[in-house]
Amino acid sequence: MAITDIPIFAMLRTKMQWHQQRQQVLAQNVANADTPHYRPVDLVDPKFQLAAPGPATVQLARTDPGHLAGFTDAGNFSNNPNQYQVRPAGNAVTLEDEMIKVAANQMDYQAATQLYSRSLGLLKMAVGR
Amino acid sequence: MDFIRTIAIAASGLRAQAGRIRVISENIANADSLAQTPGGDPYRRRVPTFTSQLDRSLEARTVALGPVRPDTSDFKIKHEPGNPAADAAGNVKYPNVNPLIEMTDMRDAQRSYEANVNLIGATRAMIQRTLDILKG
Repeated sequence: MAITDIPIFAMLRTKMQWHQQRQQVLAQNVANADTPHYRPVDLVDPKFQLAAPGPATVQLARTDPGHLAGFTDAGNFSNNPNQYQVRPAGNAVTLEDEMIKVAANQMDYQAATQLYSRSLGLLKMAVGR
Repeated sequence: MDFIRTIAIAASGLRAQAGRIRVISENIANADSLAQTPGGDPYRRRVPTFTSQLDRSLEARTVALGPVRPDTSDFKIKHEPGNPAADAAGNVKYPNVNPLIEMTDMRDAQRSYEANVNLIGATRAMIQRTLDILKG
């Protein structure tokens, strides 16, 4: 069994490739920050196919009809309204936003690589070294 | 490798912004360049443009400095009869360069340049992280 067939490595590899690609897309946005009529682009978030469905949503118990239902769905909040401003030249790149995305991409990539080397360490431990 | 492509794209941004700074410095340096002949036109401000093109080897849209166009706004006219560049009525045409606009443009170019430099730095750090896996 090749090392790349182990699910954790396959998953991390996919994630690292996604971050590589995203870095390229972000570089394209920053390079074209002054090009007229350029609209920034971004990648769609990766979706991992989970074998089991996610945790069931928990409902607050209502023992009295006067109780409030409470928030059960976090989907009411959105921190990414996908808004952008277009400058008079028709360019919609915001350098600050792009820099934040680059920093986030870098940190996520670092997390993936550290998980990767940590998993390699586990394998080494398993073979007794 | 994708990271090398990323750096190449950011480098195209660096090149374009450096070219823009070059045109701006040309404008500032020639802010007082008058005509050689009496009544002639002085230095005309030049405007850098950017074009985005699809680089097939990089599979991304890189940026390049497009044609540098002349600014078509009017020259500033001052009445200086003693000036060698003055026309028959004693008026001298001064270049249509506004130092304030040039400085603002320069700051803008500098900011974009730094953004590209930061991107290269971030990408280099990511390459370093990848190599760190080897150290295990």
